[in-house]
Amino acid sequence: MADLKVIPVETDVLIIGGGLAGCMAAINAAGEEGVRVTLAEKSNTMASGCAGSGIDHLWSYIPEVHEPMGYTLEDMAEDHRQGIAYGLFRRDLFMLVASTMYDRMLDLERFGINFRYEDSITPGKFRVVPQFHSVPASFNFDGAPLKVKLTGEMRRRKVNIINRVQMTDLITSNGQVSGAVGVDTRTADIYFFKAKAVILSTGRSNRLGRNLRSPDFNTRIPSSMSGDGTVLAYRAGLPIVSIEFMSGGAGIGAAGNYGPNYGGVRNTVQPAARIVDGEGNIIVPRIQFFDWANLGKEKWTPSVRQKWLEERKAERSPQGEGGMAAMHNTGGGPFYLDFAEATDYEAEYIEWSIKNEGLGTQFMRYFKEEEGLDLRKNAQEYVGFFGGREISANAAKGLWVDKDLETTDLKNLFAAGDEVAGLNWSSGPGAVVQGWHAGGMAAKRASAQKALLPASEEPVKARKQMCSDILNRKRGFYWKEIEIGVQDIMDFYCGSVRSERLLSRGLDRLEDAKAAQMKADNPHELARSLDVKSIIDNAELVLRSSRERKETRLSPAGFRRADYPEQDDENWLCFLGIRKENGEFKFTKYPVDK
Amino acid sequence: MGYNHIYFSEELCDGCNVCVDICPCDLFEANPEKGKPPIVRYPEECWFDGSCITLCPHKGAIEIITPFPMRGAFIRT
Repeated sequence: MADLKVIPVETDVLIIGGGLAGCMAAINAAGEEGVRVTLAEKSNTMASGCAGSGIDHLWSYIPEVHEPMGYTLEDMAEDHRQGIAYGLFRRDLFMLVASTMYDRMLDLERFGINFRYEDSITPGKFRVVPQFHSVPASFNFDGAPLKVKLTGEMRRRKVNIINRVQMTDLITSNGQVSGAVGVDTRTADIYFFKAKAVILSTGRSNRLGRNLRSPDFNTRIPSSMSGDGTVLAYRAGLPIVSIEFMSGGAGIGAAGNYGPNYGGVRNTVQPAARIVDGEGNIIVPRIQFFDWANLGKEKWTPSVRQKWLEERKAERSPQGEGGMAAMHNTGGGPFYLDFAEATDYEAEYIEWSIKNEGLGTQFMRYFKEEEGLDLRKNAQEYVGFFGGREISANAAKGLWVDKDLETTDLKNLFAAGDEVAGLNWSSGPGAVVQGWHAGGMAAKRASAQKALLPASEEPVKARKQMCSDILNRKRGFYWKEIEIGVQDIMDFYCGSVRSERLLSRGLDRLEDAKAAQMKADNPHELARSLDVKSIIDNAELVLRSSRERKETRLSPAGFRRADYPEQDDENWLCFLGIRKENGEFKFTKYPVDK
Repeated sequence: MGYNHIYFSEELCDGCNVCVDICPCDLFEANPEKGKPPIVRYPEECWFDGSCITLCPHKGAIEIITPFPMRGAFIRT
């Protein structure tokens, strides 16, 4: 095999991860005069990340709607702290998102995204729907072309977009980030970046358990996401926070193995939906469609929050929708998501919303074009899908940052979106707001720095050697074998109910995966092998952090310990960070905001 | 040939390779023959986002036949 080429790139702001957060960061950073901005993306910014093929909601404080109700930012913060984060909350991160998402919505409008509708009767002509908070507070919008529009805006601002590069290492100099290493997924060229400031925005960690919702890469969140950013930071010695809150595994969802990701029946996609059983009995009734005529007219009081918290609790109870899996496992079912009671307008609205989110576009193509089905005539069945394990919105896993999104452990390293720890369900708004903010901060920091810091070539050489080894060896495991092996370990030793003994045994078994030598016949397979390296490291951190959190905490992410079956707020109402220092794992507790 | 679910129309596809460029899972390869449809190299790595179809400039050039395990969870009338 030919000697791998090293491509040097010098820039001011390097953004790692071109999803929603990374693109917003690049756009804002590029607005700063004289700042060179480079964005490194593993696939292509046009269609990458959780918002790759669309996103249909963005939550926000919306003054036109909320001020007349007397619903304040502080009320929204408290909704989020109690009803979404269950106490694991960073108030400063919430306030940044909630208070500036509206301004970012105006920016997205300028970039060509539509938020206003002629038939809307809400202030601002928005489609504002309930989603995460005790009052409607989410923009429902035409989010399908989001990444395409953002890519266009980046090009207009002359961002240097490098697609098809998988980032593997950070380079540091005296406590400051000074560069990074990446591998081209099509040529195996090694990228040697030097930068004044770096933003990590690679999003969530996926593929941590077997996806029995076949085919294998038919996962809920994009299958290309292997938690690379987490691993970059971890390899540089930074703490990773809340990684014990990996979720997923056995579950039940509408449209079964297709999994268009509707969320629950009260998810804003389907207020007109009901859940019925095979005999037509209504298990969960439909509710009133969005009450836009009254939006903003009723006064908010703390009793609204109380009622909302009680409703959420009921939804998760065995009698609520959350109990369908339990009902199925004791011989109940089948269950169907049924739109029979939806009006023409409601059906059209729901289809529009589905098409704008993630897998929804392709799902509707399958449903309507391939199968010739109709939303109201053909109920969608809740089929048990054993979704692969992921570390997602309810975990809020990632880097510990200050209020301006700079990591507390490495100067000039910023994080944005699902790369940031401490704000559950930050999701789309988190990515949009934090990306923008981190981009601005990083650009100012880079502007103020005259020269690049030294960036050692050692990590570049090491990564080049490692990649060459994988490409050159005659015998070795195919990446997929190792991935399946690691997923089996996670499913067996780190399942829904964990224990010290099982977690420890899982860590022993994982050593085999770490030692296994992979072989790749081409750069694509090499890239998948690098995915697996990330998956292994994420898995190790999950096992170790799970073992360290000695309690059970059902909300927000269903963390259960057989050996510590009670919630222990006195010792564990905190964020837990894990890092590796001189070969040893160390833990830090970070405080929650009250 | 084994498993595949992505089909190109020789008539409608002109080998522009937009799908190759944007696929988040990088499962396509440009055809060595210019103007011909891409090769579906890694069909088992598809995430089913459908961006290939959404961003294809030629309507009907790409068709996805949904894999069997993902089908059928409906009441047919």
